[in-house]
Formats: sequence, C-alpha cells, structure tokens
Amino acid sequence: MDVPVWQRIYEEINDPNFVLICVAEDTGGEAVAGPIFDAAAPTYVQVIDENHLISSLFNFVNVPSAVWIDEEGRIVRIDEGTYSKVHEIGDGEQKIVFGNDVYAPALKDWVANGAASQHVQPADVVSSNIRAHSDDEQRADAAFRLGNLFRLHGQAAKAEHYWAMAEALNPDSVNFFRQNLTLTEEGSAGATFRERIGEYMTEGKPWYRPLDIEAD
Amino acid sequence: MMAHPELRHPFDASSIHPEGGATVLYQGKTHTLQAAGSGQQLLIRPEDLMQINGFELKPEGACFGELCYPLPEGMLVEQDGAQWFDLAAFADHIGQPYVADLESRVWSFAEIPAKRESLLVDAMAPDFEVTDRQGNVISRADLKGKKALIVTWSSW
Repeated sequence: MDVPVWQRIYEEINDPNFVLICVAEDTGGEAVAGPIFDAAAPTYVQVIDENHLISSLFNFVNVPSAVWIDEEGRIVRIDEGTYSKVHEIGDGEQKIVFGNDVYAPALKDWVANGAASQHVQPADVVSSNIRAHSDDEQRADAAFRLGNLFRLHGQAAKAEHYWAMAEALNPDSVNFFRQNLTLTEEGSAGATFRERIGEYMTEGKPWYRPLDIEAD
Repeated sequence: MMAHPELRHPFDASSIHPEGGATVLYQGKTHTLQAAGSGQQLLIRPEDLMQINGFELKPEGACFGELCYPLPEGMLVEQDGAQWFDLAAFADHIGQPYVADLESRVWSFAEIPAKRESLLVDAMAPDFEVTDRQGNVISRADLKGKKALIVTWSSW
C-alpha cells in the first residue's frame, strides 16, 4: 500500500539528484509484486528482490525498512519502520491504524537541505542503528537462498528444509517468518502471525525499530 | 492479508546441475560450474573464481583488488591431473559463512566479511548490484553524487 504513496512523494520531491529505489522483498516475484507496482505507474526504480538481498545487505529484519545514502555513499539514516503515511484498514472496532505521517516530510527535508537537515543522523547514531548480523544470521540468508533454489527446481522437501533452517538461524527475521506464512493457507496475517505479534507485545519488543523523528 | 499457497512450490522437479558439476550461490547469482572436483569439498577451477566472487589467484594469494589473502596449505588441490581451488575451505579461512547441500552439490555463500567492513566500520553503503524490473543494473557507483532512498516493502 506504500507503493503508490512513494510515487506521489517522489513526484513531489521532483529532484533529478534524488533516487528512490523501491524494493519488493517477495519470493512470489513478478507474479505477486509486479501488478502492485504496475497499478502505481511508478517512475522510480522498481526492484523485485526474490532472495531478500537488500534486507541482507543492510541487515534489515522487517518491511518496510529503509536507508538514506548521501552523495558520497555515506549512510545518514537506517533501519526504521518506514511507512510512507498513516494507513487505516477496516472499519469500526476492526479498524487497524498503522504507519506514520512524519517520515515523508523528514525525507523531503533531507533531500532539500542535505547535511544541514535535522533528520540527518550523526555517524555514531547511524552506526549504532546498523543491526549486528551474526554468522548464524548470515548463514540464515544463505539457507534462505538455498531453499529458493530448490523451490525453483521443484524440490519441495529441500526447499522447506532450508527455509526452516533460515528461520531457526535468524528467529528475529520477520521477513523470513512472514514470507513463509505468505505461502500457507492461513496467509501472512492469520493466527500464527497474530500469535507472534502477541509475543512481541508481551515481551515489550518493538515490531519495528521506532522512528526517531518528531512531528514538526 | 496475503495467502499464496499455490506459489509455494509451483515448479516442476528438475536437476540443478549436470552430473559432476557444482552450483554456487553468491550475491543473488547462481553459478553453474560444469567442471568441479569430486568429493565433499567444493573444488573449482581456479579460472572460475573471478566470475564467482571477483577474486583472482596471484603469487601473493587470493586477491580482490588490492586486498590479498595469502593462501594456507591445502587450498590448491591436485585431482585427476588438474589443479582445483577449494572455495569452501577459502570461505572458512576468511570467515565467510555458507550453507551447503552436499547431496545436490550446491553451496550458498553469505557475503565476504571484508566487503562489508565499510558498512560496519564507517557506515558507508556497501557495494551492491540490483536489477530493476526493466532490466537495468543499478550499483552503488551509479548513486554517486545523488541522494538515495532505498525502501523495502512486500506484498505480504
């Protein structure tokens, strides 16, 4: 649901020296993510990342997550729950509200003001926000891709084995957990998902790292 | 709520590589090696190293640009009259995690630690290469001089 909103934000920013790369972390590939991109008619860069390489590159564990990279290749913000706006799903007591309305304005401020933007974080803050990625967690990435290869070759038992290995080696990866659920009958937001969310709430663990941006 | 059980295993069973070969996964690419040594090791032809991970063998060791790792004993193996490079042993040597399926002779490698130092030491974006839906390849170098937002989403 952020895909069309990012297009609107991209058009509003309208700066030839700003690149927006929108990456679908989706083993379903073009069949699943393609129509969602197409419906938004994006002019930004669209990537369908079946192997979750971008999450692995920046040590992300959930979507949406994002990184800001400046003109010199330096990371100036990273790894927050980066919805493009506040979203509402459903009505009445069933209504779910999530997202935020501060991230997009912060992004625009950075593109306009560069290093002078109050939303650029100092190097020590950025470094502390880069998640550690242990050997086991990296092995999880390798196992996930191995599972995907076996899946492509119709070898279901091995595909399941290596996906399960990925989840076991990196239990903090919401990406692996929910990607797996997507390909089940109950889907990505069924009972298993609600149970996991409940565990996070019980443990006081954030589903996303909180956005460190104050509203103007 | 997304549920695509029909996409879990939509493909027909097929072998992964020709008999006698090996398959290497690295940085999202699948390298099918027609020739590989036999046994439990991942023995590759030294000339295949460059296309897999950008390293080449030089007198001073295995080198990626200016970065060279001297090679300990046992990395180069003689078998059937040919010389092979033990890629998994090299990964162990440089601390690169991997997972192998020996039965199918597939080795899946995580990133080489030295290639990620820039991220962890001074918060510089690591080198990367992605292909967009139009087939354009975008790398970190293409972003130089521009500000970039890389944001993930998913259908789920």
